[in-house]
Amino acid sequence: MKTHYLKFASFGASKILSLVALSLVVFTASCESFLEVDLPASQLTATAVYEDEQTATAALLGVYADMRAAGILSNLYYQMSLYGDDLDYYGSASSAEEQFYTNSLIPSHPTVSSWWNASYSQIYAANAVLEGLETSDFNEAFTNQLEGEALLVRGLVHFYLSALYGDVPYVRTANYQQNTTVGKIPAAKVLEETLVDLSRAASLLPWEYTAGDRTRPNKGVALALLARIALYAGEWQQALDAATLIINRSDLYVWQNDLNQVFLKESESTLWQWYPAFSNRNTAEASVLSFTTAPPPRVALTADLLSSFDTGDARLSNWINPVSNASDTFYHAYKYKTRSNTPVAVEYSIVMRLAEVYLIRSEAYARLDQLELAATDLNTVRSRAALADVAYNGKEELLEQILIERRHELFTEAGHRFFDLKRTNRLDAVLSLLKSGWKATDELLPLPESELLINPNLMPQNLGYQSGN
Amino acid sequence: MKIYTTRLTGAAWILVAFFWATGNLLWAAMPQQPIRGTVTDTQQNPIPGVSIRLLNSNTGTQTDLEGAFNLNATPSDTLVISYLGFKTLTLPVGNQTKFTIALQQDVTALGEVTINAGYYNTTRREQTGSIARVTAEEIERQPVTNPLAALQGRMPGVFITQNTGVPGSGFQIQIRGQNSLRTDGNQPLYIIDGVPFSSEDIGDASTNVGIVGGISPLNTIDPASIASIVVLKDADATAIYGSRGANGVVLITTKKGSAGDTRFQVSYRYGVAQVTSHFDLLNTQQYLEVRREAFANDGITDYPANAYDVNGTWDENRYTDWQKVFIGGSAAYTDVDASVSGGSEQTRFRLGGNYHRETTVYPGDFAYQKLGIQSHVGHTGLDGKLSLDLSNSFSYQRNSLPGTSLLSNILRLAPNAPKLYTEEGDLNWENSTWTNPLSQFEKTYSSDTYNLITNLKISYQILPGLLVSSSFGYTDIRFNDELAQPHTQYDPALGYDSSRSMITKSQNFRKSWIAEPQLNYTKQIKDFKLDVLAGTTLQNQISNALQYAGLGFSNNNLISNLGSANAVAIGNDTHTQYKYSALYGRINLAFQDRYYLNLTGRRDGSSRFGPGKQFSNFGAVGAAWVFSAEEALTESEILSFGKLRGSYGSTGNDQIGDYQYLDTYTLTGSTYGGVSVLEPSRLFNPDFSWETTRKLELALETGFFDDRLLFTAAWYRNRSSNQLVGIPLPGTTGFSSVQANLNATVENRGWEFNLTAIPLNGKKLYWETNLNLSISRNELLEFPDLEGSTYANQYMIGEPLNIRKTYQYEGIDTETGLFQFTDFNEDGNLTAQDDRESIKDLNPVFFGGIQNSLRYKNFSLDFLVQVVKQDNYRGMYLTGYPGSLGSQTPEVLDRWQQPGDETSYQKYTSGRDIDVVLSYLRYNQSDAMITDASYIRLKNISLSYSLPQEILPGITGEFFLQGQNLLTITSYEGFDPESIYISSLPPLQVFTTGVRFNF
Repeated sequence: MKTHYLKFASFGASKILSLVALSLVVFTASCESFLEVDLPASQLTATAVYEDEQTATAALLGVYADMRAAGILSNLYYQMSLYGDDLDYYGSASSAEEQFYTNSLIPSHPTVSSWWNASYSQIYAANAVLEGLETSDFNEAFTNQLEGEALLVRGLVHFYLSALYGDVPYVRTANYQQNTTVGKIPAAKVLEETLVDLSRAASLLPWEYTAGDRTRPNKGVALALLARIALYAGEWQQALDAATLIINRSDLYVWQNDLNQVFLKESESTLWQWYPAFSNRNTAEASVLSFTTAPPPRVALTADLLSSFDTGDARLSNWINPVSNASDTFYHAYKYKTRSNTPVAVEYSIVMRLAEVYLIRSEAYARLDQLELAATDLNTVRSRAALADVAYNGKEELLEQILIERRHELFTEAGHRFFDLKRTNRLDAVLSLLKSGWKATDELLPLPESELLINPNLMPQNLGYQSGN
Repeated sequence: MKIYTTRLTGAAWILVAFFWATGNLLWAAMPQQPIRGTVTDTQQNPIPGVSIRLLNSNTGTQTDLEGAFNLNATPSDTLVISYLGFKTLTLPVGNQTKFTIALQQDVTALGEVTINAGYYNTTRREQTGSIARVTAEEIERQPVTNPLAALQGRMPGVFITQNTGVPGSGFQIQIRGQNSLRTDGNQPLYIIDGVPFSSEDIGDASTNVGIVGGISPLNTIDPASIASIVVLKDADATAIYGSRGANGVVLITTKKGSAGDTRFQVSYRYGVAQVTSHFDLLNTQQYLEVRREAFANDGITDYPANAYDVNGTWDENRYTDWQKVFIGGSAAYTDVDASVSGGSEQTRFRLGGNYHRETTVYPGDFAYQKLGIQSHVGHTGLDGKLSLDLSNSFSYQRNSLPGTSLLSNILRLAPNAPKLYTEEGDLNWENSTWTNPLSQFEKTYSSDTYNLITNLKISYQILPGLLVSSSFGYTDIRFNDELAQPHTQYDPALGYDSSRSMITKSQNFRKSWIAEPQLNYTKQIKDFKLDVLAGTTLQNQISNALQYAGLGFSNNNLISNLGSANAVAIGNDTHTQYKYSALYGRINLAFQDRYYLNLTGRRDGSSRFGPGKQFSNFGAVGAAWVFSAEEALTESEILSFGKLRGSYGSTGNDQIGDYQYLDTYTLTGSTYGGVSVLEPSRLFNPDFSWETTRKLELALETGFFDDRLLFTAAWYRNRSSNQLVGIPLPGTTGFSSVQANLNATVENRGWEFNLTAIPLNGKKLYWETNLNLSISRNELLEFPDLEGSTYANQYMIGEPLNIRKTYQYEGIDTETGLFQFTDFNEDGNLTAQDDRESIKDLNPVFFGGIQNSLRYKNFSLDFLVQVVKQDNYRGMYLTGYPGSLGSQTPEVLDRWQQPGDETSYQKYTSGRDIDVVLSYLRYNQSDAMITDASYIRLKNISLSYSLPQEILPGITGEFFLQGQNLLTITSYEGFDPESIYISSLPPLQVFTTGVRFNF
């Protein structure tokens, strides 16, 4: 019995042990293949993205989705209207918005850094598209379309970065090692680079819109932005030429004579607008700027803006809405009219519209001393507002009229008013009378403190935001 | 490729089945004989319930009421006789068939209590590594809902803080300090009944906004179902966990059935909880004075339109204590636990269930509920060779909370802010002059968590000393939550309607299986005892998350129904997989029960790393010398136990999330013009690999006076290198970080002391005290080119990781009334990059606990006093600059008003004077803002009374009072010195009463 047991056992043990040893060896060899995992369903490799037109397009649209939600472009209408003289602030005291209103931004202000970071993230995504296209073999038309749009985004975002922060880095690569220590270039140089990117975009993009609702830029948008920026750069002829090309395409861009139809999403005077995040969501402009009872919960148009309108200006009654309580009347912007969400959105946020193109050309003509042509363009805008043709005496007066017209046409849009005052060197003269907190150095926002800490090449801080002991 | 993988995985399973089958054949051949005996104490009193077990087998029995037992054994077997409180005895069976055994009392049971070290068991006497333990008895005395809470203050080297007092929130645990530069990479490995439990927060940050610090999956485990929690700390104990052991290992073992009569246990507990302390804030008159002076300082006489608190719009005599309104309530705790257990020597079982309900200190109807069911079945074959253990634990939690964190809101309210409700009972918006904080309560948050943990352990003794076993585990956690945001959260003046109401929902699950076959061989050759273990691990974890939102409802009552939303968008739909495989082993050699050598190792592979970087080896050597067993000392009257032990080895850390090495685009869930858009997922770096921690430990363990006094001192030094981090990047790169290895080394070193004493050990009066103390230091040893890196403003060589570089406060300029700071580089400018050179360390300097257990007749009193010495931000860090809208602490009253004033606070501003604001911000970032936040806290107290046996025959009953955080001694001014998120609800003070019956 006992011997039998031992014999059996030793046989069993040696066999088992060798089996175990063998299995461990086999197992180790198999480890590598066991560790293979599927790619997550929500991710695609970068190579795969640029092998297919649809996914490459989706990568570009990702930039728009981001610009629509965050960063500078989609917020200018609010913060920069508070920063300038379009809006008065009635919301919570000591809030981030109030600091825009009182021009008391500091380098650690949350919006100051979020605008900066979101903008460079958009630029990264645009550069990634451009680099992805380099290695892909799409047909020429498709490549041109995507490349044009990506360049347009890159130029546009840099333009606003520089308009707000002054000297900034111009980032042309997705390579992070390079971008980690990148330094600033002068604002004037940024403007030049921007014009280069936008000119190239305009040459690549076709006139046909790829999206029926004008939510993706075409050649017209590139030219219009080029014209806008050329105006800032003082490149009058370039602004004039670009604007003319657009205005001449009256088949594509139709002047809308009804003030109440300008901001509808079907408007043919729109060049570029954002597609909303939810198909039923109307604009942020309508929900943020308007209110139904007084005093206003957030913001209202400034008395200075209201009083500057001629009483007969049709925009006063069509684009501005009064709300009263027992003692006071407040006014809110009423360009976008649909506050609630509707089964399908009726208004999209507009980035560029035809009236601005007319005003750009008007100013460019005037600067180039073609005053009559300038007046004609200006009168196109004035007549829609039921105003008589402009009366002026000389170039300076006409330019003054154009600036006023820009204020009345473009209030609470894209911070136009603030940037107009800035490029015409009137910020100090105008705002120091209206705003007690205004200082000359407020023409620029501070550079985000967190960025200066992490990349010393961004030094020095903008004037007025460094302080001694 | 895939098929190949599956086949080999299958092969491992077949292997285990094969071992079984072979073993079954052997079983028939074993010669056995019946043996019997009695067990008594040294006074000849029979002891019932003594465990009689055969060494290296699962066979065993218990003594009956007369202390007698019967068992079948072979002559080569060895009996192991053990009973809690007595010294374990081992007796070779030989030809003897009748035994009379007298057990000796052992007050501290050093060598008796088996300690679960994960893949193997050890005892305090034999352990070569650093292992700390908390038992069910200690856990039961605490009214806590998270198992980690039960460890606070009880273990040296284990620093635990509660994130917030919000029900369902998590804990921060650091075992011997911060090893990784990544603040989120310092979690220990949790193993529940042998199954790794992912402690990563679950859910989507966009929905669970009310819970700072995330939702802890560990909440799913009912503390009452836990038999013990063991923490493994040094290399010897953790190297066998290889790549996941760097931050320590927390082993949770649930209660199991044991042989004997069927026993029932029922307990009920009810109590209340409230916040431990309130902030001292200015009253309305003081506050308005500050505001008015601020405007006056700025030269503003005409108050702005939106300065409603001072411009006459609001009642200037109104006062509301907003803390009282929002967090001044009492939360109710209810706990019911029941279990039944029993069985025979062959088959044992335990069934347990529990229900917990906890409300919040917020106004409103919010509650956290938890339901759990646990079961265990254990079976041992007649011959004791086969053993099976199946444990299941299922829990369900429902948490409903306000959809926002409230504390920061409270501090933004002026004390004279308007009333919350109108006369009609509606939310009062006071003509749009404020955002009614109760509007945040219109948003509601609720979550449901389902969690299943199953583990099957099979073992079979193939040959004497050779045990083959395998553990199979499966965990499945499902988490669904929703955040409803009806339009009523907005001021009606904005004119919004329910087309703006929105709901965000998320559905998440994480499931994982693990198989760990292993072989264990033990052999005694003369004075040598050999214990060898070899095993493999295969693990596969799949996580899915789906987040979606609905916008626009015809009516807010329909908000939970996505079908009635006007538009639905899928926000996020991710599936991720994590695979892990390993080989591990241990060789333990003991000589004369005096010298111990322990070698452990592991080869790990993880899918979280890119090709060529997936595998790595880890290992440790541990040794112990029980010098008290040397002949010269065995007769010592004083020294009853003495051991020196030490260990050295390496462990790793792979807590970096999945797929980080891939260059991909992500579908973010956003759409543009009907197209789902792609965004770059991350900056691409395929070449990162494991972070390695090398641990060294030396310890002395001693026992005196028959182990009535035990003292342990341990010194350790852990060095973590090849730091795997998301290196911070400037915004110009488009991202905030990139995953990479940094050639930086972090050291954690320290001393840990533990003293257990039983000053009184009488029949009537018993007193045990336990003291633990940890002194630790964290230091950044190396960091090549720190100055040139993006970490330059965060770390310093030779300093801890958890430092703050601050401005050095120099007082107030009596002329300008502004705070002054040292201009370190003397360039005339104060800049964050050059002048924050005053270093403040926020790590605890030391921490410890003093636990006392006193028993007098039927009463017992247990209490734990926790002591922490540390610095933290002052409470006033949370308030805005004095002069802004919002609460202020009285510290700001002693302010500068005119040249010549010598004060402790600078002049006020309404915000228009940028210099004052900037200097306020610098003050917040200065060393003056960091203060002593040490505290001594009566963490836990429990008083219980046991019913005398005579009253209810066959039933033991206990009545108890328990408290948590009842008393705190601190000089800290703020909400709570423990809270690391100083802006969130601090840990609550809990007081409960209850009963427990056993029958």
